[in-house]
Amino acid sequence: MQWLRTMVRIRLFEQMLADLYKAGRLVGVVHLSIGQEATAVGVCSALKDGDQITSTHRGHHHMVARGLDPQKMFAEILGRAGGYCRGKGGSMHVSAPAQGAMGANGIVGGGIAHAVGLAFAAKRLGSGGISAAFFGDGAANQGVLFESLNLAALWQAPVLFVCENNGYTEFTPTDAVTAGESIAARAAPFGIPAVEVDGDDVVAVNRLAGEATARARSGRGPTFIECRTARWRGHHEGEESYAKPYREPPAAADPIDRLERVLRDAGLAADGLRAAMEAEEEAGLAAALAAAEAEPEPPPERALEDVFA
Amino acid sequence: MTSVSPSAPVKRLAPALAEGIATCMRTDPRVVVWGEDVRIGVMGPTRGLVDEFGSERVLDCPISEAAFVGAAIGAAAGGLRPVVDIMFSSFAYVAFDQFANQAGRLRYMTGGQVAIPLVIIGSAGAAGANAAQHSEVPSALFLAAGGLRVVFPSTPHQAFWLTRAAIESDDPVIVLHHPALAATRGSLEAEPLSLGDAVVEPVGRDVSVLATGLMAHRARAVAKRLAGEGMFVEVVDVCTLNPMPWNAIIASVTKTGRAVVVDEGRLTCSVASELAAGIGERAHDALRAPVRRLAVPDVPIPFAPNLEAAVVPSEEAIAAMVCEVARA
Repeated sequence: MQWLRTMVRIRLFEQMLADLYKAGRLVGVVHLSIGQEATAVGVCSALKDGDQITSTHRGHHHMVARGLDPQKMFAEILGRAGGYCRGKGGSMHVSAPAQGAMGANGIVGGGIAHAVGLAFAAKRLGSGGISAAFFGDGAANQGVLFESLNLAALWQAPVLFVCENNGYTEFTPTDAVTAGESIAARAAPFGIPAVEVDGDDVVAVNRLAGEATARARSGRGPTFIECRTARWRGHHEGEESYAKPYREPPAAADPIDRLERVLRDAGLAADGLRAAMEAEEEAGLAAALAAAEAEPEPPPERALEDVFA
Repeated sequence: MTSVSPSAPVKRLAPALAEGIATCMRTDPRVVVWGEDVRIGVMGPTRGLVDEFGSERVLDCPISEAAFVGAAIGAAAGGLRPVVDIMFSSFAYVAFDQFANQAGRLRYMTGGQVAIPLVIIGSAGAAGANAAQHSEVPSALFLAAGGLRVVFPSTPHQAFWLTRAAIESDDPVIVLHHPALAATRGSLEAEPLSLGDAVVEPVGRDVSVLATGLMAHRARAVAKRLAGEGMFVEVVDVCTLNPMPWNAIIASVTKTGRAVVVDEGRLTCSVASELAAGIGERAHDALRAPVRRLAVPDVPIPFAPNLEAAVVPSEEAIAAMVCEVARA
């Protein structure tokens, strides 16, 4: 039930950003994760406090799933003083290390190796924690992914490699720039257990993520999970101003509808439950957004802070 | 300058750097070492560490610079204090995203939420027929990348203390060391050096020469030679490049009124350029002659020993420029 709520929250959070963008109230470039809610919730719900994730330019869903405060997220994305990163990260870099969100990364593949190092540190320090690297299908063609798989396998690092394959590498169909039939298969030669999963099935994602976290926690090293999902929006909001239409509408069913159906079939979701949840979440997010928008801009002197310790 | 005490241990530069790492490893279990052939310690800075600290803390990595530097960034964010030996500093080019976009940005992008206490060690400079990809001094690139501390010790004493300071720092620090100086002997004095220090030795009055690494050695040799001819050169060894020790630099130039900046990097956008511009801005009124830069011309380091020697500033070239500036 919490999964449904979190997925609803992600959807509404992202929809509000889309509306803000359209209304000209957002600065910068924003990449929305609508349609990919199940991967974030399926994986993050298998993690514990003290575990750590690295994320991507399209990472709001990971952050909401990790339990970040929507007001501080909105504030960051709006460039306000009270944002998680004090207004210096923005949409692509929302981070909250205290909650294990170690950094969303604007460079495709940029955070993968960090997750291996986080896992190594957790193992060496005996924290019991593990890490998960979220990355997209575009990162499947970055050399650092293969280097990181090798290192993680050698070190038996407690790390999950989570590839969200949403079908598009920025503006290019992933199939057109990605050889072979499967991204997950690329992990197999390193001796890393690799699975493909319907990334819109939150139950299936969670089950596999749970197996992977158990493997990591018991010292049996990394796992690679390719979540096949769909990107419902463009690469970024506002791209229609210059990009010719290039996308097929997503064929997959709405992952939130699917979870709702599962709950309904199990007798766990009464009529009206989702609508009530949506109303509650919408009210909460609207309040968070209003509070964030009311915040001041960061003071100018802050631009020169935080470079060094 | 530190006074030389007879009881101070004498070491060569690369082992002094290794001793700096070992000193930190003895007291701080969070310090781990990894990189390319660190158990053998090809270039010297990690030699012998595996014998004392074992392979749990001294790890040979695949030749995957982006991954092992990136993993070190993650490990640093996760509470360790990794020391990475990348062997040749120009191998950083393979992993430059991890240097510039990651290590140098994460603290800032997260608004100070993440510290990256990371040290990356690499050799820098021409040591005889290694050609263009193993002979460069890329310090200017690290400075321009931003968010990175950079040190370039030229003596065993500097190597020991600046390595310790680098490991104890909460920032990412690049430690460069010159392969031609690896066997240079010197005493490890008790007086520490910190990030941001320069070493002024010898003290002089006629011309300031600013240099790092092998160029600092050559500048000191030139100073010694010219002292015999009655010209007193002051050498400011800019052994930390970030933070830049502007106070020491400006104090020296203000005193002498003349400055030559010697750099083993390529001239365009070099450290020498930055120093010359900074002196011009900060000490213009004290200057009695234009600041001069002596650096590698805008070519890669060539292979043939005579060609290599032709592009790296020699003692003769330094002396000639110092004399020109002294007369100007």
